[in-house]
Amino acid sequence: MAQRKDKSIPDKPPKRKKYDSAFDLWLQRSLHNMFDEVASEPLPEELLRLIEEDRKK
Amino acid sequence: MGASGEFHDQIIAILPKLRVQALALTRNRAAAEDLVQDAACNALSAHESFIPGTNFAAWMHRILRNRFISNLRKRRDTTDIDDVPSSAFSTEAPHEDRLALKELGKAMNRLPADQREALVMVVVHGMSYEALAESTGCAVGTAKSRVFRARRQLEAWLMGEPEGEASRGAARLGRSPGAVRTDRVATPARRGPVAAM
Repeated sequence: MAQRKDKSIPDKPPKRKKYDSAFDLWLQRSLHNMFDEVASEPLPEELLRLIEEDRKK
Repeated sequence: MGASGEFHDQIIAILPKLRVQALALTRNRAAAEDLVQDAACNALSAHESFIPGTNFAAWMHRILRNRFISNLRKRRDTTDIDDVPSSAFSTEAPHEDRLALKELGKAMNRLPADQREALVMVVVHGMSYEALAESTGCAVGTAKSRVFRARRQLEAWLMGEPEGEASRGAARLGRSPGAVRTDRVATPARRGPVAAM
């Protein structure tokens, strides 16, 4: 069954240089502020060791 | 390097993104780390079921998501819904900006988990709606809707949108006006299980 296109919702997420509103810009920057550091933190040694042990099997 | 070595390297490479997804879902740092480890263990156990050359990222994201759902069903959620990622306070942002981030954190905690997850994966990971749909096991239209609703709801809460406008917005999305909360973030949020996905 073909999906009906909902024209009220953009096809793609807004690119960095195009925003629907100042709120969208602020939201994007704030979410990066909240989550980017989590992604860049060192990985837990225990988890890495677990993966490496499985690799050797 | 054999296929097995590549598989393990892929798991290690995607761990940062899994941490972000896990934190978006659990809203708790410790729970997120546990979820990532559980998901990695599940993936290692299911190694033989992964078809090399297919979308590993989507496969891995789905494993984590399914583990999250499984954990929810097993126990009552005791997550501290006010637990904001520590990175929100680790910047050099002025006091007013830190307050705004804290309010955003509270508002994010109030979103349904699927909307919160969708918004974070699109905005922070830069995922396309198609990739989001594949990673979360839903239709592309559903993925778009979750992101759109999350943005709309956050804007309504944080910008103090008049109740009428928020209700009209909810009506456009096919939801009953009564289902839309229009009170400000400062209102103590409801504690309890994470909203049904």
